[in-house]
Amino acid sequence: MTAKTIIVLLGFLAAFSLFAYRVYIRFRHMRLGQPAGPFDRWGARLGSVLEFVAAQARLFRYPGTGLAHFFIFWGFVLLFPTILQAILEGLVPGLVLPVVATFGPVVLLQDLIALTVILGVLYGLYYRLIVRPERYKGSHQFEGNLVLVFIFTIMVTLLCSNGIRQNLGAARVAAGWQPVSALLGKPFAGLSPHAQEIVEQVCWWVHLGVVLVFLTLLPLGKHFHVVTSIFNVLLRNLEPPGRLAPPVRVDGSEGAGRVEHFTWRQMLDWYSCSECGRCQDVCPAYNSGAPLSPKLLIMGLRAHLLERGNALLAQNGQAATQKAVLDKRLTGDVLPDDVLWACTTCYACDQECPLFVEHVQPIVDMRRYLLTQQRGDQQLTAALESLRRYGNSFGKSDKQRAKWTTGLDFNVKDVRKQPAKTLWFVGDYASYSPALTEVTQATARVFQRAGLDFGVLYDAERNAGNDVRRAGEEGLFELLAQKNAAALAKCQFEEIVTTDPHSYNTLKNEYPAGLGAAGVSPAIYHYSEVLDRAIQSGQLTLRRKLDYTVTYHDPCYLGRYNGVYEAPRRVLAALGCRIIEMPRNRDRALCCGAGGGRIWMDEGKVKERPSENRVREAAGLPGVDCFVVACPKDLTMYRDAVKTAGLEERLIVKDLAELVEEACAGGPQPCGANALPVDTQAGSPCHT
Amino acid sequence: MNIVVLIKFVPDLVEDLEIDASTSLLDRSFLRLIPNELDEHALEEAILLKERLGGTVTAITVDFGDVDETLFTAVAKGTDRVVKITGEDFSQGVSNEKLAAIFQGVLADLPCDLILTGTQAVDDLDGFVGALLAERLGLPYVGYVTKIDVQDGKLVARKEYPGGLNADIEISGPAVLGIQAAEKPPRYVVTSKVMEAMKKASIDEQEAGEASVEAELPVQRMSLPETGARAEMIEGSAADVAAALLKLFRERGVLA
Ligand code: SF4
Ligand code: SF4
Repeated sequence: MTAKTIIVLLGFLAAFSLFAYRVYIRFRHMRLGQPAGPFDRWGARLGSVLEFVAAQARLFRYPGTGLAHFFIFWGFVLLFPTILQAILEGLVPGLVLPVVATFGPVVLLQDLIALTVILGVLYGLYYRLIVRPERYKGSHQFEGNLVLVFIFTIMVTLLCSNGIRQNLGAARVAAGWQPVSALLGKPFAGLSPHAQEIVEQVCWWVHLGVVLVFLTLLPLGKHFHVVTSIFNVLLRNLEPPGRLAPPVRVDGSEGAGRVEHFTWRQMLDWYSCSECGRCQDVCPAYNSGAPLSPKLLIMGLRAHLLERGNALLAQNGQAATQKAVLDKRLTGDVLPDDVLWACTTCYACDQECPLFVEHVQPIVDMRRYLLTQQRGDQQLTAALESLRRYGNSFGKSDKQRAKWTTGLDFNVKDVRKQPAKTLWFVGDYASYSPALTEVTQATARVFQRAGLDFGVLYDAERNAGNDVRRAGEEGLFELLAQKNAAALAKCQFEEIVTTDPHSYNTLKNEYPAGLGAAGVSPAIYHYSEVLDRAIQSGQLTLRRKLDYTVTYHDPCYLGRYNGVYEAPRRVLAALGCRIIEMPRNRDRALCCGAGGGRIWMDEGKVKERPSENRVREAAGLPGVDCFVVACPKDLTMYRDAVKTAGLEERLIVKDLAELVEEACAGGPQPCGANALPVDTQAGSPCHT
Repeated sequence: MNIVVLIKFVPDLVEDLEIDASTSLLDRSFLRLIPNELDEHALEEAILLKERLGGTVTAITVDFGDVDETLFTAVAKGTDRVVKITGEDFSQGVSNEKLAAIFQGVLADLPCDLILTGTQAVDDLDGFVGALLAERLGLPYVGYVTKIDVQDGKLVARKEYPGGLNADIEISGPAVLGIQAAEKPPRYVVTSKVMEAMKKASIDEQEAGEASVEAELPVQRMSLPETGARAEMIEGSAADVAAALLKLFRERGVLA
């Protein structure tokens, strides 16, 4: 055995042991977590791995870096035998893997793949160092760049060796099969054969060294995703996005107050975070200047798991440092309260993450803990107090819930007394907010015109609890859900339609099955879907074409959470409106900032409210002067935002139902060309 | 320190109030009763004191109807013992004099260092209960208290006077304090903790003793505020409005 062999074997041994040790540590830490699973639906899971690991589907949501990553990833996978060959050959001269090293077309492919990897890396370095996008802010950028340099080195040394071997006539295939290598070998062709051999040796050692160092570094940081991502995607959450996992217990000790209160599955998420910052890039809280970054949250959890895991598992480490670490509070010290309260639960981050790392769930887990510790803000807890006492966040009597119906010229059925085909779950905002009474009445009139046999629950309806749950008040969510379920069980109806996408989400995804009488599960719709149906089926006759140019805002809980994008657009198109999309539309729509209980909380200090940012986006669309929404909270948020952003003259915020009523020409105040003030451009919705 | 907090229930003002046929009472048939807000402040102050100084908190209420949830919530917040006074149908309301007499009866067997209650209630802006009770028990009474402290082993209550004046009043021995506001707004305890309290804690039910009341203030007639056409809307352009205002100010002698 030569000295070289011994050194290499020792190197291998050292690198692999260090790698294994570091993985083992992380594995042990993960075992501090709570149980997770069982995992089923393996077909869908394997499909996910093909789609999201092999095809990297989500990465392409950012096309440039997505493509670069795709090349680097596949380059590495495909070049693995090549790299192995190169290392083994240096060790055992004459060792040749069949095909990999000898079959011309395969070698050509390797050569070209290596080139794409190099190009991918160069693009990555350009992107990180020259473009410097905001999304990398806070990531371990040195590590990111270092690894790119590593990969670059691995590839270049490989190609150089090949090239030199071509120069020396020692290659196993003709130079034509290794064009890139031959090119890289050129500069050395002038050296003496001996000198070229030395260069080749240097390349070999550097190649090997970098491969081994890279291996040991993998588990330490963001590049652990190379190993964990397959498992992370394989074991991803297959539940609908709108279904939060309930706490294991709801007995006053719920929620995550310590890192070990999370499940091991959640910890695997954190190990998998590649710090790419896509989540941060799309986060409305981050972009409004709030203290939350979903990326830094995950990185913080990972770092804290490491230090706390070490401290917990240390046998007899340094007591003082150990104590300092153990005394560190997860909520408060590691993640300040205001970080956790800033989230609107808009789901943009979860949806964007290429590796299916979840953010909303751990945030809600920690909010649950904060609330058990009485660490909710004043406004939030006042709203919760009202919700507990009155079943609505307005602190109004349940007897006033259906007061809006008194302004109608027909009676709205009380489903508790009379059966109706459609049970309209009106929701708090549409029921109580004085500013929305008109719109709720318009919705009722449109339903009536469409011949919908509908009724409401009157005093028996309670807040559906979607945002109560996301604010972390699980017990109250259960209470509200029980009350609603009990009321629904006594009524005769076939389907539920909601005004509020938030109610829609929780009724559809989180309420127990069998909400109807006799335990039948009713279909659940959003009013935009019901309007779409009524128009498409001809039940609702549109009398007037609305010649407006509008933009439509997708509510988070309708769009991203439940995939309803087309129904409201079809309605608008049927009305005759031209829809001009905002740059951020459909699943990329910006959250209005109200979700997850944010609407009840103190706003805190922000640079620019998400809702103002959003109306500015709309105002930037030429020709658009109507901003259409399909959520009562949106109506509230955006009517406010056009005022505070000074865009009142530029944009009018309309609910979808208002426009439908206008097209039916049955509204109390017909609104359109005839009713327009003289100075308003014809063809815009009337400014009221 | 062992603190007793007295809680009474008052009509919830989010409901429309109506006067019954006798014209001297509220129509209670559809009335929702809620714990008096300042009594909740008293409870919060008691719990804050307990957290600072140790001791126990006992919350007492009269069985006005649905009072259990409030008592269990008090337990979830940190109250050690909750007492419900039963024996009669109190749901039609209890006069302040009678309430003070009932509380006196229970307190006789309940030695404590401090008795806290709200300084007033929506149905008792004069704030009688605390004062009447103190009189009956022969204890000092301080109302409008916004803070309780212990300095050199003595209790000091901060009393708020109109016009932003505060007085720190030293109290020796047991006393009745009427709380105007707790140092922090009453805490919110999560529903799961209230549910746990319902499962684990028990309400101590005590019969109201013979409550002798010497003098009561019978209500002669109750009425909703009579609204007159007082407000006068001034309309027109800004200049018109300004001119009309100026004229008005001159007429009424606000401006020369
Ligand atoms: S859910 Fe929305 S607000 Fe919350 S962290 Fe994710 S992107 Fe940000
Ligand atoms: S959580 Fe996902 S999207 Fe966010 S930085 Fe990590 S890998 Fe990227």
